[in-house]
Amino acid sequence: MLSVKGLKANVGDKEILRGLDLEVAPGEVHAIMGPNGSGKSTFAHVLSGREGYEVTAGSAKLDGTDLFELEPEERARLGLFLAFQYPVELPGVNNMYFLKAALNAIRKSRGEDELDAVSFMRLMKEKLKVLHLDDSLLKRPVNFGFSGGEKKRNEIFQMAMLEPKLAILDETDSGLDIDALRIVADGVNALRSPERSMIVVTHYQRLLDYIEPDRVHVLAKGQMIRSGGKELALELEEKGYGWIVDGEAA
Amino acid sequence: MSAATNSSRQPAEAAEAFAGWLHHLGETVAPASIGADADSASGWIAAERQQAAERVRAQRVPTGKSEGWRYTGLRSLIDQGFVQIDEPLTALTPDDLEEVLVPGLDAHRAVLVNGRYSASLSDLGALPSGVRVGSLSGMLESDPDALRGLLTRLADEASHLFATLNTAAMQDGLVLLLERGALLERPIEIIHLSVGMEEPRVAQPRHLISLGDGARAQVIERYVSLGDALYCTNSVLEIALGRDALLKHARVQQESANAFHITSLYLSQDANSRYAGVNIGLGGIWARTDLVTRFSGEHADCDLRGLYLAGDKQLIDYHMDVRHGLPNCSSRERFKGILYGKGRAVFDGLVHVARDAQKTDAAMSNRNLILSANAEVDTKPQLEIYADDVKCSHGTTVGQIEPEALFYLRSRGISASLARRMLCLGFAGEIIDALDSEALRDYVTEQVGERLERAPLD
Repeated sequence: MLSVKGLKANVGDKEILRGLDLEVAPGEVHAIMGPNGSGKSTFAHVLSGREGYEVTAGSAKLDGTDLFELEPEERARLGLFLAFQYPVELPGVNNMYFLKAALNAIRKSRGEDELDAVSFMRLMKEKLKVLHLDDSLLKRPVNFGFSGGEKKRNEIFQMAMLEPKLAILDETDSGLDIDALRIVADGVNALRSPERSMIVVTHYQRLLDYIEPDRVHVLAKGQMIRSGGKELALELEEKGYGWIVDGEAA
Repeated sequence: MSAATNSSRQPAEAAEAFAGWLHHLGETVAPASIGADADSASGWIAAERQQAAERVRAQRVPTGKSEGWRYTGLRSLIDQGFVQIDEPLTALTPDDLEEVLVPGLDAHRAVLVNGRYSASLSDLGALPSGVRVGSLSGMLESDPDALRGLLTRLADEASHLFATLNTAAMQDGLVLLLERGALLERPIEIIHLSVGMEEPRVAQPRHLISLGDGARAQVIERYVSLGDALYCTNSVLEIALGRDALLKHARVQQESANAFHITSLYLSQDANSRYAGVNIGLGGIWARTDLVTRFSGEHADCDLRGLYLAGDKQLIDYHMDVRHGLPNCSSRERFKGILYGKGRAVFDGLVHVARDAQKTDAAMSNRNLILSANAEVDTKPQLEIYADDVKCSHGTTVGQIEPEALFYLRSRGISASLARRMLCLGFAGEIIDALDSEALRDYVTEQVGERLERAPLD
């Protein structure tokens, strides 16, 4: 599904990713953990094509297609989805209109017909229910005036609507209380399937109690310094990052 | 804000050329068709027009240094050598109107062609009692007394050059009169249709809207063209609102890419009256609108909103002059602009609060979204406050599309061009949403979207 090899990327003159490797097979959920400033969010942004990052070496392929050759919208149409750590407020842009434009752009690129209004509404209502979101959300501007929890749930709602191949959840747990976290995690778990892979980027082990990963990676100083099963997350919770990061440095 | 470019300044020879053109117009139009006979019942208007013609001849021509014209060059207007033609255009049929109609808009419809009322194209339907709609020239002949004390009364005190010229040269226009307590529930749509003629011509229509005490109406004015005609419209609209009257007024200017447009709107509001105006400026190559508000009673409320789009070669200019001379009135001016290509816009708003106008509540804002490096906006909101117990604010912003927002949309599969358009429409939506008619909202949204779709990206 996703194959990242020797990825190096800069922000300005500063090298943030320093030779990062990652292989994600179809249906797998990988957690990327690491201390602040380790490059977790940079990795998520570089994959999705955000401006302001310069890839200096390495490759990232989604089902064999080089992501770095594509515009952000082309990556999305290929099946890549980024759930933002800080979802952007779009005053004046209606949520439903936005979702319809996104879904139809993706369907069109796959050679599918645009959804008619009735099927679109039905699909939306079905997905809203899973995320415990109210219908009224559809009439509001995208993320505008949403609470922190609503914003995060709206991200997962979009993911449910767009049905990506590979979803990257960038610190989706940050700022959520335990109830909201459970709802978000339930939404994510409902989307797990043998065809869909996920990368869960998080600082804390907490989210992984609800979204159980197949693999856990520790990212520090721009590289994956340790990979293991889900028990690695528990170990990190217990001992902190210090023992791994310092061990690596030594 | 950014300084005026040199090209927008008025060189002396341009002023001279303009003076020549004006004087020519002033001379030729004075003895025109309406109110010509000083002895008739409409003799008073003949006298008004004579005086206006004299004022035009004596008027100092605005230069680049004249307040109100600093950012609005007149050169391109003068160079066209517009002439006034008094012949009405009668060849159009209702079929010709089809292409400019708003789908699904249910309204009494009045149509003017090149500034003249067309009974055959209008479809007024059944008007409620106490409501009169008709042509200015017709009413000056049949019932001039109904216009006395209104026509030219509101414009005069603050009239600028083009308004004075209009008074001297007015041929026809639309009159809408609501008696005390009359209710016009279904909106009235006034279509100002312009059709190109062989030589570049100027039409100088004069419109009047008067609402008696407690009357209520909804007016939709639309300025449209057939084809890409080159012409000039110099219109004046006088609006008088009686006590407790309510007027909702949408104005959509979507003229041809070659049109020159001037509107001077004079609004007079009596006690407790409410005016809600939404100005949409999309068309024309050179468009200047002056909105002038005066209060003649307390507790009146004036809400002026606007949205303008200026693309390549376009100049769109809104001037506002809101005078609070009495206590307890409120006014809001909220304008938004989107500039692209080499588009230029001017926002010049003045709210004046006199010493006696205590408890005035006034807020003015102008926000602009600039999509290209070559677009320009000159924005100048001003408050002049001489009272000490008031609530007044003003603010202005000039910004670009947020890269974060653009990336967010693109990360969902939406193309960069559609994403830009969605963000622009989101920005504009606040003003469009203030339009009362859903059909008109949809139509304006589509018009704005189409223009943005054609807009160059840098």
